[in-house]
Amino acid sequence: MIRFLRRLARRPLTILGLLLVGGHLLVAAIAPWITPHDPLRLLDAPLEPPTAIFWLGTDELGRDFFSRLLLGGQISIVAAASAGLIAAIGGGILGLATAYHRGLFDDVVSRLVEMKLSIPSILLVSLFVTGFGQSLGVLIVVMSLIYMMGVIRTSRAMGISLMEQGYVKAAKLRGESATTIVLREMLPNIADLLTVEFALRTSSALLLVSALSFLGLGVSPPTPDWGLMIQSGLQSIRSEPWLILAPALCISTLVIGINFATEGVADLLGLEAARGATGH
Amino acid sequence: MLIAIARRILLSLLTLLMLATFIFVATEIMPGDALDVSLSADELSMIPPERLAQMKRDLGLDRPPHERFGAFIAGIVQLDFGRTLISKTPVWTIVGYPMRNSLILAGAVLVLAFPLALAIGVTAAVWRGRTVDNVVSTGAVIGYSIPEFVIGTLLVMAFAVAWPIFPATITALTRDPAATLLAASPLAVATVLIGSIAYLARLVRTGMVDALASDFVERLRLTGIPEWRIVFVHALPAAIIPSLTAAALYAAALVSGIVVVELVFAYPGLGQELVRGVTRREVHVVQAIALCSATIVVALNLLADLAILALDPRTRRA
Repeated sequence: MIRFLRRLARRPLTILGLLLVGGHLLVAAIAPWITPHDPLRLLDAPLEPPTAIFWLGTDELGRDFFSRLLLGGQISIVAAASAGLIAAIGGGILGLATAYHRGLFDDVVSRLVEMKLSIPSILLVSLFVTGFGQSLGVLIVVMSLIYMMGVIRTSRAMGISLMEQGYVKAAKLRGESATTIVLREMLPNIADLLTVEFALRTSSALLLVSALSFLGLGVSPPTPDWGLMIQSGLQSIRSEPWLILAPALCISTLVIGINFATEGVADLLGLEAARGATGH
Repeated sequence: MLIAIARRILLSLLTLLMLATFIFVATEIMPGDALDVSLSADELSMIPPERLAQMKRDLGLDRPPHERFGAFIAGIVQLDFGRTLISKTPVWTIVGYPMRNSLILAGAVLVLAFPLALAIGVTAAVWRGRTVDNVVSTGAVIGYSIPEFVIGTLLVMAFAVAWPIFPATITALTRDPAATLLAASPLAVATVLIGSIAYLARLVRTGMVDALASDFVERLRLTGIPEWRIVFVHALPAAIIPSLTAAALYAAALVSGIVVVELVFAYPGLGQELVRGVTRREVHVVQAIALCSATIVVALNLLADLAILALDPRTRRA
């Protein structure tokens, strides 16, 4: 542990990433208690410049912009992290199961993975939003499926090499069931990989959610959300540029933080993180 | 060799068939039918039952799902995506030109992105661990961590508002020739380009670092071949071939990026039609856009596979 920390100390970008993520999570968690004003209350003063009372002024409907900024990450973070978590765990188990069974099951899953990789994420979400309506639940389910496919690929590759390990062969000889071997013997051994996958998929999901909100297909108004705030800020890009710059800075620092932190930690854990963000 | 090619082509066709099935199931069967999806509950309650039955007959929705699926597939094969539910315009006339325009944008980005990414990636790999490499590697992470719509908006602020040398939104029309469209959209091209270079340069760098550290390069060094020859003649092809698959997969991400950037700049491409299609719940338009883009991505993946087959003899078995 101490060696891990010492090696971490030599990586300023990783530390910066961890600090950015930690800061964002802290603000998102305590935002409801620290917002100076009600983020939904319409004041009779739209597009006010920043003052001592309204630190970043008011938006086009006269709502306190600073309060909305503090709350603007909550929904995206919760949606993206849920999707990342479901994708990591579900994809991990499915990937190992395909590695264990191979054969027809493996072929079918591989074809599904390939199919998903050929359809742009935004279009996939659009299809489901057209079919099932626009809701946070639909969004989380679709994003989980999208990112699960990538996790299946990496954990299947790890699983195939694990199958050659002595303890897996021993468990087979003991007559353990496939379910037990996959869940008890193999899954704990790819925990590091799945943690990194979780972080990477969450950062991709954050980019996707914010892009969808910007397009008007993600988080619905009047809920404060960075993607939506940038979209509505475009109307006053010439006169009140901070209405765009502030949420742009928030979403960018959050995703940059996740990617810096993940890359560094994956490197320290000895995992290949060079794959980077695998398609937004 | 021929068997390997035939196998790849068949697998691509199978992937497309599965995609079409999936799209049909996702939009037409699960929650109701195309009509339920495109009309809101209010509108549905306003329409008398006989009229609704008539509308369903007109759209062929009274037929059982497997017959409709057959018709759907037959339509796709003939490039006929049906008509819109409300205005009865053929979907192809809505999607055709915007699709061409999105392809023009994608083509322009790729033509610029490949050489730039190659140059940047190779430079970083050759001076691995030095300042250039650190700047490139860190820059790449930042480049693909910022959402495309944020990059686009920031470029507008910088080069259309603060220092107005480019137009903020694109005034070119849907049916303008390619040159007019591109001349009107330098900021849109730049926006997509930044993300693409960040992704591709990183890919090239990783491939190149592996290639330069491999045994065969080590052996070439011992024979005294000049380093520049090793880098460009021997290591570069070995680095590029494995990255081709990853680069073709990037096509899917590129389409997603283009869709968003088109909306930032009001570029007359698929992005606008997609959002209009989803918000008006025009199922057939969304289906057509999803299918056509997926076909392009599948085709690109096939091309990458075939290129690897042609370039790398080791893959010809199997």
